[in-house]
Amino acid sequence: MTRAVANRIGQALIVLLLAFTASFLLLQALPGDAILIKYQNPEMGLSPEQIAEIRILYGADAPLWAQYGNTIWNFLQGSFGYSVQAGVPVNTLLATNLPPTLRLAALGLLVAVVLAFCLAFAATLAPFRWLRNLLATLPALMISVPVFWLGIMLIQIFSFRLRLVPIINPNEFQALILPVLTLALPIAAPLAQILIRSLDEVEAQPFVSVARAKGATRRGVLWRHVLRNALLPVLTIAGLLFGELLAGAVVTETVFGINGLGRITEQAVSNQDTAVLQAIVILAALGFVIINLAVDLIAPLIDPRLNRKLGADA
Amino acid sequence: MAQEAPVQGGTLVYLEQQPHTNLYPPAGGFYPNSGILNQITDKLTWQNPETLEIEPWIAESWEINADATQYTFKLRQGVTFSDGTPLDAEAVAKNFDVFGLGDKELGYPIAEAINNYDHSEVVDPQTVKFFFKAPAPGFLQATSVIGSGLVATSVLAQPYNELGDATKIIGSGAFVVESEVLGQSLNLKAREDYAWGPVNLEHQGRAYLDAIQYIVTPEDSVRIGALLAGQADFIRQIQAYDEPQVEAQGYLIHSASTRGVNNNAVFRPENPLVSDLRVRQALTAATNTDEIVQTIYSAHYPKASSVIAATALGYVDLHDKLAFDQDRAKAMLDEAGWVQGADGIREKDGQKLELSVYESLPQPQSRAMFQLLSQQWAQVGVKLNVLAGDAGSAAVDRLDPLKTPVVSAMVGRADPDVIKSNFYPTNRDALLQKGGLNAAATWEDPALNELLLAIASEPDNAKRLELTGEAQVYLLDQAYVIPIFEEPQVFAGAPYVNGISFDAVARPSFYNTWLAPR
Repeated sequence: MTRAVANRIGQALIVLLLAFTASFLLLQALPGDAILIKYQNPEMGLSPEQIAEIRILYGADAPLWAQYGNTIWNFLQGSFGYSVQAGVPVNTLLATNLPPTLRLAALGLLVAVVLAFCLAFAATLAPFRWLRNLLATLPALMISVPVFWLGIMLIQIFSFRLRLVPIINPNEFQALILPVLTLALPIAAPLAQILIRSLDEVEAQPFVSVARAKGATRRGVLWRHVLRNALLPVLTIAGLLFGELLAGAVVTETVFGINGLGRITEQAVSNQDTAVLQAIVILAALGFVIINLAVDLIAPLIDPRLNRKLGADA
Repeated sequence: MAQEAPVQGGTLVYLEQQPHTNLYPPAGGFYPNSGILNQITDKLTWQNPETLEIEPWIAESWEINADATQYTFKLRQGVTFSDGTPLDAEAVAKNFDVFGLGDKELGYPIAEAINNYDHSEVVDPQTVKFFFKAPAPGFLQATSVIGSGLVATSVLAQPYNELGDATKIIGSGAFVVESEVLGQSLNLKAREDYAWGPVNLEHQGRAYLDAIQYIVTPEDSVRIGALLAGQADFIRQIQAYDEPQVEAQGYLIHSASTRGVNNNAVFRPENPLVSDLRVRQALTAATNTDEIVQTIYSAHYPKASSVIAATALGYVDLHDKLAFDQDRAKAMLDEAGWVQGADGIREKDGQKLELSVYESLPQPQSRAMFQLLSQQWAQVGVKLNVLAGDAGSAAVDRLDPLKTPVVSAMVGRADPDVIKSNFYPTNRDALLQKGGLNAAATWEDPALNELLLAIASEPDNAKRLELTGEAQVYLLDQAYVIPIFEEPQVFAGAPYVNGISFDAVARPSFYNTWLAPR
C-alpha cells in the first residue's frame, strides 16, 4: 500500500511537470505576450526603446531555457512572479481569488449532488409512468441551458424583479445563493442523468429480483442494494466534473462580478498574463491529481472487488 | 434639484466595467484607473473643463520663460498626503522626475504627456523649478492631467510592478483608499481635513460624500439592472442602445467628451493597397458617417468633423473634406486603376482590394461600427474584413501594416500635443512610420512629423493653435485618417445623485457629488 501511494505521488509530480512544460511551451508559441499586449497598447504611448527596457526588467529577453528554469526554480520556492496586467504579485492574486472559488465550487458541487439525487429518486420512484418519464427528461433540458443565460435570468428575476436578494452589496449568505444555483444546475444535470441510468441498470439485475422475491419493498431495495451499486459511475465522473466546475466558475464569476480564480483566468488568458496562467495550470493540475487520487481511494470502499485489483497492481 | 443645498454624508455605489490595473498616475489613460485616480490624487494645476484654461490648484502660481524651457511653480502651503507627509517642492520634484524620466531600476515608464523633460530643482520648500531640453509648451497643461496626479514619495520608491494594489497609492486627494478586494471592489473614504480643492471651484473643504464604493460589474445588463433596481447609484459605460431604457425610467445619462483625437479609422500607408492617395480619398468619400452615428450610436456621440473633437483646442471644421459621395469614390477607384471583378471586389494586377481591421475592445461598439463601414465600402467594391482576434494576435498584427492596413485610434487629452501623441513615430505612431513601433517600417512622412514636432515645441500659443489647424488639414488632405465620431465616456446615474462633474477629458470627479434624500 505504501508503495502504491509513493507511486501515485510520483505520477502526480510527473503530471505537474508535464502540465507546466506544456503550458510554458504553448504560451511561448502564441503570437504576442503579456508585456507586448500591455505596453504596446497605444494608451501607454511608449517608444520601442522603452518597451525593450521593460522587457529586460521582466526578464523576458532571457533565452527560453533560462526562463523555463527560472520559473520552475521560483515555483519551487513558492514565488509565482508578478501579474503584468494587474500589477501585483501572483501570490496576492491567488490568495484573494482561490478561497472564494473553492467555496463556490464546493457549495456548487454539494447542491448539484443533492439536486441530482432528488431528481434521480423522483424519476425512479414517482407514482406515474408519465411523471417518471417527464422527470427523466429534465436533465437533458438542464444541460442545454447556457450558464451565462441562466445566471443573468436568475439575477433579473430574483434580484431585480422580485428584489429577494441584492446582487450589489449582499451579505455573505445572500452573496452565495444565486451564484451557487447558477453553478449547480448545469452540473446536477449530467450527474442526475448518470444516476438515473445507473439505477435502471442495477434494478434490472438478478439480485434485485431475489431481494424483491424475499419480500423487500421497492424503496428498501433501492436504498440498501441498488444505490450502493449505482454510485460507482457517479463517483468516477466526479473527477471530470472538477473541470466543469472551473469552467462554470469563469462564467458565474463574470456574470455576478465576484472575484475568483475563474475570473482571473479569463482575464489572464485574454492578456496572455503568463505568470498567472502558469500558476493556475499548476493549481488545476494539482486539483485533478488530488481528486482522482481521492476517487481511487474511495471507490474500493463502495465496491470491495476494486480493492483486490488495486492490491494486485501494487 | 440643482438649487437645493448639498447634503453631506452617504456612500456612492459606483459600478465599474473593468478592474483597475497599475495605478501609477501616468497609467491613468485606462478609464477604470482614471476613475479612481481622479478622486485620490490632486494635480499641480486644474484645467477648467469649460474654458480649457489652466487654473491654480496645488500650485498657487507659476512662471514660464519665453521659450518654454523653464517652469517655476509656487506651491500652496499646508497641503499633506494622506500618510501625513507634506506635499512640498521636494515631493513635486520627485514626482515629475519619475514621470519625465522614468526609473529603469524600479521599472517606471515615462509619462506620455511630458515631453523634453530634463531635470527639476527645489528652490525652497514651496518653490520648484523644471528644466527642459527643448521648448515644452504643452507642459503646463500636462501638469493638470490625470497622468500627473501627485503621490507621496514613498509610493515612487516601490517597484512599478506592485502598484496595482490601490492601498499603496498615497495621494493628497479628497478621498483616500480605505480597502480593496483585488479585482472586485474598492472602498474610498472622504478625507476630513481636505482643504485644497481647485481654488476656482465654488465648493471648498471636504467632499460631501462620506465614501465611494467601486464594484466591478463586467456584465452590461447587470450594471444597468442594478442601477434601475436601486442597488447602485452611478454606473460607467452604457451602450448607446441601452440609453433609452435608462432614460425611460427617469435615470440620467451623463456623457462627457474625451476632447482629443476622434475615433478615427487610420490608414497605414506602407501597405501597397492603401499607399495610393486616390484610394484613401475614395474610401473617405465612401464612408457615410451620418449613417454610422445614427444607426449605431446616440445623440451623445457627435459626428466627427475633423481629426480632433469640435470641443478640443485648435479644432478647425473640415467637414467639407469628409463629404459622403459614392459616385466620387467609384470614379477615383477607377482612376487609380482598380477594376470591379466578377465577385464585385475591385482588382488591379491580379490583386484584390481587400483590407482588414481589428475591432478595438476599449472603444464603444467598435465591431458594429466597422461592420457597417465594411458594408458601406462594399458598395464601391472594396472589401473590409473586421477581425476579432485574441489580444496577442491583435497586438502583433497591429504592428504589421500588411496585416492591418486600417486601425482604430483615438486619444483623449485637452491640449494640441494630443495630435503629436497619436501620430508621431516615437509616441503612439498610429500610421506606423519608420523609427516607430514597427521595426521593419520604411515609410515616413517628414512633412507631417515636422509639423507635429512644431506643435509640441511652439511657445507662442496663437501660433501653436495655427499649427494644430494645419496638421488637421494636412492629415485629411493626405487622407491618412477617416474621422468617424467624437468619443464620449457615457455614464448613468440615479436622479438623486447631484453634482457629478467631469474633467476636460471625461473622467468623473466626485468631489462635488452629493446624494439628495430619496
